[in-house]
Amino acid sequence: MSAQPQTPDVTNDSMEDRLYTVKYDDPGESHLDVKVPDICAECETNDCVKVCPANVWREGEDGVPHIAYENCLECSSCRFACQYDNVVWEYPETGGGVTFKHG
Amino acid sequence: MSPELETDTPDEPNYDDEFDAIVVGAGLAGSAAALTMANRGLEVLLVERGTSPGAKNVFGGVLYTPTIRELTDFEDAPLERYVAERRFSMLSDEDETAVSLRPGEWHREPHNDSYTVLRGEFDEWFAEQAVANGATLVTETTVTGLVRERDRIVGVETDRPDGTIRAPYVVLAEGGNSLVSEGANLKETESRENVAVAAKEVLEFPERDGVIEDRFRLVDDAGVSYHYFGEGAVGDAFGGGFVYTNEDTVSVGVAYRIEDAVAADQSPEETLNAFKTHPAVAPLLRNARTVEYSAKTIPEGGAESIPELVHDGAVIVGDAAGLVLNNGVHLEGTNMAVESGYHAGTAIARAAERDRTGADALRAYPDALEQSFVVQNLERYAWMMDAVEEDRDLLFEDLPRAFADAGTEYFRMDRNPKEVHAENAKHAVLDALGGWTGAAKLAFRYRKMVT
Repeated sequence: MSAQPQTPDVTNDSMEDRLYTVKYDDPGESHLDVKVPDICAECETNDCVKVCPANVWREGEDGVPHIAYENCLECSSCRFACQYDNVVWEYPETGGGVTFKHG
Repeated sequence: MSPELETDTPDEPNYDDEFDAIVVGAGLAGSAAALTMANRGLEVLLVERGTSPGAKNVFGGVLYTPTIRELTDFEDAPLERYVAERRFSMLSDEDETAVSLRPGEWHREPHNDSYTVLRGEFDEWFAEQAVANGATLVTETTVTGLVRERDRIVGVETDRPDGTIRAPYVVLAEGGNSLVSEGANLKETESRENVAVAAKEVLEFPERDGVIEDRFRLVDDAGVSYHYFGEGAVGDAFGGGFVYTNEDTVSVGVAYRIEDAVAADQSPEETLNAFKTHPAVAPLLRNARTVEYSAKTIPEGGAESIPELVHDGAVIVGDAAGLVLNNGVHLEGTNMAVESGYHAGTAIARAAERDRTGADALRAYPDALEQSFVVQNLERYAWMMDAVEEDRDLLFEDLPRAFADAGTEYFRMDRNPKEVHAENAKHAVLDALGGWTGAAKLAFRYRKMVT
């Protein structure tokens, strides 16, 4: 017997579906980058990947995080999380990036 | 306020310029500053990088409105619901122990000046109030840096063609992700112990009519503000979860320190999923559909991480100045943003009357902020973060479980007399606290919450 009655249906969309709920204009690639790729290659903690709420930072086979720019919600957690101050984050170009309807 | 010395050399701001002041960011702090300055006759340019004010903002919370009510006609503001109930829940992984407040007074205007809002709509309305009073708003324009002459800030660089705009005063209201202020060495990048990551969803109910009222026991425009902490909310991280009712949607989210997010074995998105499916939360969200997913960082460093607020020709306000209070009971920031924008705008208007732009002439802003609820409240709880950090396991794990156990024990139905259950309940809590001594120590440590 389960300890709790079955919890009712709660939609937990996939990240892809979630991001569909947000409007993107061309985010540009320049607003997010790594300063020194060698540092990322050496980094074993990948804090950027762990903290990102939108799967923008993904651990690649080469150990270097790969960046899915188009997912970026502009929260900038990666910038604060990186222990090596190795995340370059700029405001997306004029009119670009994410737009929240509700916010 | 420090008196101005008559012998000071008057500043020589560039009066060829079209504007007296440039405000970077049309969020609540920026629009409050713009509105205040426009009201006092200054030519103000409000620069916003989003397609409209609020387009880049994320908010899960309650807007407290006493200052906004003072600044402008509040009648047609896009408010979602007034807060008729505040609830604080401790969650273990399967229990909830809650305290709920529904005072009658909150149903009567002005509803304790507490409203849920959606920033996409509210910020646009608030910026329009500044525009209606004479400010100029430009959107889709990103400020990329500041213009300096010698040590004085005399304008901004934007990403527009010929994008340099000069003005005697610059108000930096760019939010917690303050790249311009950091790039100009006006503040340091906040450390990850002092910044929270928040993931939030806005949910809609396909069955719509009356669902929110029924589910949250509400009538008309009444709404709720539910806060959750403990390991059932965000694991062992420092932070919590929340549910707020909007007019016909619900905002649900989690916020916790980045320091803890990197140590956790789940991503913020997974933490949000777990919170949404907690047995105490899931029934509130049944059959709801996600209409927006968003994320943001929140500067939670408190009084100690406020940067220098005034510089020659510039001031820093709102989230960029780290003006957020999060002590678990009080979650405030937007009201502090408005208050800081108001005081900054007032100080600039006074300095402009005397044609002065130096930091000394702008000190009226931090002085007023010191005297206001903003800094007083932040300083009142400055001790608390360290205390909570030290008691983290107790507050977030042991106590939520102990209270749930005590409640279960107190109301247990068997053939024992009540005295046995009461005794067991008492022990469940006392054991977690480390006996009467532990309880007394804890009460003493947190006495400032109530005194």
